[in-house]
Amino acid sequence: MLRIVGFFVRRLAVSIAILLALTLATFVMFERIPNEPAGFLVNLKHASQAQIKHARHQLGADKPLPERYWLYVKRVAHGDFGKSWATVAFTSNGDELGVPVRTELWQALGVTASVVVGGVALVLLLSFPLGVLSAARPGSALDRTAVGVSLIGLSTHPLVIALLLQLFLGDRWRLLPGRGYCNLHGTPQIAFGTPATVTTQTCGGLRDWVSHLLLPWVTFALFFIALYSRVIRSRMMDVLGEPYIRTARAKGAPEWRVVRKHALPNALLPIVTMTAMDIGTALGVAAYVETVFHLPGLGARIVTSIASGFFDVPVVIGIVFFTAVIILTLNLLVDLLYAVLDPRVAAGRVTIGPAARSGRVA
Amino acid sequence: MGVAAAPVVAPAGQWRLAWRRLRRDRVGFACLVSIGVLVLLVFAGAPIAARLLHHRPNDLFPYAVDINDKPASPWTRVPALNDLPPVTNEYALDKPKPPQGTPNTLLILGADGPLGRDEFLRLLYGGQDSLEVALGATLLALVLGIGLGAVAGYFGGWIDAIVSRFVDIVMAFPLLLFLLMLATSATPHLDHVTFDGVLNEGVFGLVVLIGVFTWFYPARIVRAEMLTLRSREFVEAAAMVGSSDLRIIRKHLIPHVAPALAAYGAVLVATNVMLEASISFLGVGIKLPTASWGTLLTATWGSLFEPYHYNHLGFQPWLTILPSLAIFLTVLCFNLLGDSLRSALDPQGA
Repeated sequence: MLRIVGFFVRRLAVSIAILLALTLATFVMFERIPNEPAGFLVNLKHASQAQIKHARHQLGADKPLPERYWLYVKRVAHGDFGKSWATVAFTSNGDELGVPVRTELWQALGVTASVVVGGVALVLLLSFPLGVLSAARPGSALDRTAVGVSLIGLSTHPLVIALLLQLFLGDRWRLLPGRGYCNLHGTPQIAFGTPATVTTQTCGGLRDWVSHLLLPWVTFALFFIALYSRVIRSRMMDVLGEPYIRTARAKGAPEWRVVRKHALPNALLPIVTMTAMDIGTALGVAAYVETVFHLPGLGARIVTSIASGFFDVPVVIGIVFFTAVIILTLNLLVDLLYAVLDPRVAAGRVTIGPAARSGRVA
Repeated sequence: MGVAAAPVVAPAGQWRLAWRRLRRDRVGFACLVSIGVLVLLVFAGAPIAARLLHHRPNDLFPYAVDINDKPASPWTRVPALNDLPPVTNEYALDKPKPPQGTPNTLLILGADGPLGRDEFLRLLYGGQDSLEVALGATLLALVLGIGLGAVAGYFGGWIDAIVSRFVDIVMAFPLLLFLLMLATSATPHLDHVTFDGVLNEGVFGLVVLIGVFTWFYPARIVRAEMLTLRSREFVEAAAMVGSSDLRIIRKHLIPHVAPALAAYGAVLVATNVMLEASISFLGVGIKLPTASWGTLLTATWGSLFEPYHYNHLGFQPWLTILPSLAIFLTVLCFNLLGDSLRSALDPQGA
C-alpha cells in the first residue's frame, strides 16, 4: 500500500511539472505569432497608436513574457483563468467585464464529456463482444466479417463518417438533428448552431440531448470500435493459445467459462494501458466531431479560438490547461488501476511501457 | 580425380525474398499496383487532363451552377466563360445568355460547388497536394525517427531519458492540439516555400509540421530494437575490430530495423493522408482555393465561421462522397500494403 502511495506522489509531481512546461510552451508559442491582441478591443484600421497601446495595456499584453507567465500561474493557482478576450470590455473606470474563461470552459467541458462518455459506452458495448466472439471462433464467418469491418473502420476518417451522417441522416432525410447541442438539464434554451437555426430553435431535456448527440456518438464510436475490437481479438487469440487455457479445457470447463474466467481477465491488462494512451486521441477525435456537428465543446472552442485569425490567448491556454489536467488525471487513474491489478508495477519490478502501435489520426 | 568446382551460390537477399513473397500475396500486390496507378493518375494524369480539357482546377465557371446554386452534374458541357456577361434584363430569373459562339467545356465530374470549378481536376490536383504532404511527412518522420531513436537506443543514458520522456508526454496529448497551434504560428513562415512552384503553397509547411509530430512512432521502434541488439555478439565483434559507433549503427544495426520500418512507413503514409485532410478541413493547413482532399471535404459543409446551409434544391452529395472515397481508398490501400509488407518481410512474426 505504501508503495502505491509513493508511486502516486511521484507521478503527481511529474504531472505538475508537465502542466507548468505545457502552459509555458503555449505562452512562448503565442508570443512568437505576429498578432495584435488590441484588435479585440479597438478597430485596428481606425484606432490611433495611443489607443492601440492603451488597449494592449488593458489586456495586460504589454508586459514582458516572464512577468505575464508569473502572473498567470499565480492567478491559476487561485482558480482564475482570466476573461475571454473575445468577450472582454472595459468600463470607464477600468473595471473588466466579460465572460470568465473558467465558466466558458466548464460549459464546454460538459459538452465534450457528453460526447466522449456516450461514445465510450458504445465502444465498450460493441468492441468487447465483437473482439471476444471473433477470437473464440477464428476463421468463422463472424470473425472474417469483424476483421474486414474493422479494417474498413480504421481506414475511414472520422471526419468523413461525420460529414456523411450529417449530410444524409441529418440534412437530406431529416431523421436526426445534424447540428447543435441541447443541454441535458435546466430550462430549454437556445440551441447553439448555424445562424439560421439559432434564433428560432429552443431545446433542452433528455430527449433533445440524446437526439442531438446520437450522430456524434456513432461517429466517435465507429473509429474506436474498429481499433479496439481488433486489439481485443489479437490479445484474446494470444491468451487462448496459453497452456493454462488448455489445462482449463482439459479439466472439462465449458468453453464460455474458459473465455470469461480464464482468458478475458488476462487479456484485459494490456488493453488497460492502451486506453491510457488513447485518451489524447479520443479528445482529438471528439474535436473533429464537435466541429462538424457544431457542438460547443472544448475541441470546437479551440478550433474557433485559433482558426479565426485572432488568437483568444486566455481561452487557448485555458483549454491546453484543462486538456492537460484531464489527460494527466485519467493517466494517473489508469496507472493506479494497473498498479492495483498487477502488484509488480507498484513494486517497481515492471515498468509500464505503452506498446508500440500504429499512428494516430488525432 | 579432380574435385568438381563448387557451384556458385548467390542466395537471394532479404529484400528479394520479401519481394517474392509480396508478389504472391494477392491483396498486397493489388494494393501496390493501385497505389502505382494512383500516383501516375495524380502526378502525370492531372496536367494531361488539364491540357485536354483546356481549363485549370481553379477556373470558375458561373454557368456550371444553376439558379438554385446547384452545381452541374457529372459529364456536363458548360459555356467556357469565367465571368457572366452584363445583365440586360433585370427582371429575368435566369442567368444572362452567353454570347453567340462561346465554346463549351466539359466538366467530367461536374462542378465543385457554388463557384463552379471543375471537380474532376480538383480531385486530381488535390490528390497531388495530399500525397505530397503524406509522403514528404512520412519521409521526414522516418529520417528523424531513425536518427533520434538510434541515438537514444544505442547510447542510452541521459540522451535516452530525455528523448523517451519527451516522446511519452507528447504522445499522451491530442496531436490535433499541437498541430492546430503550430499550424497558425509556424507555417506562415514556411507556406511560401514552394521550391520554384514545384509545390503548392502550404504543402511544405504541412510536411514539416506533420513530420515533426509523428517521428515518435518510428523512433520507438528503432529505440526498442537498438536496446536489445546493442549487447549482441556481432556488435561487440564490430566494435572490437575498430568500427566507429556511427558505422556500427549504420551498417550493423539499421539493417535489422529496416523491415519493420518499411512496413510501418506504409501505415504512416495512411495516417498522414488522414492528418492532412483534417488540418486542411479545419482551415489551417492547405488553404482554399488550392485543392487538397481536405479542402474538398468542406464543399458541402463550409467552414466553422461560414457554415453552408443545407439547400434541398442544390443537394449534390457527391461533392462530399468523391473526396471521401479518394481518402478512404488511399488509406485502405496503404494500410493493407503495410500489413502485407509486414508479413512479407518478417514471415515468422506477425
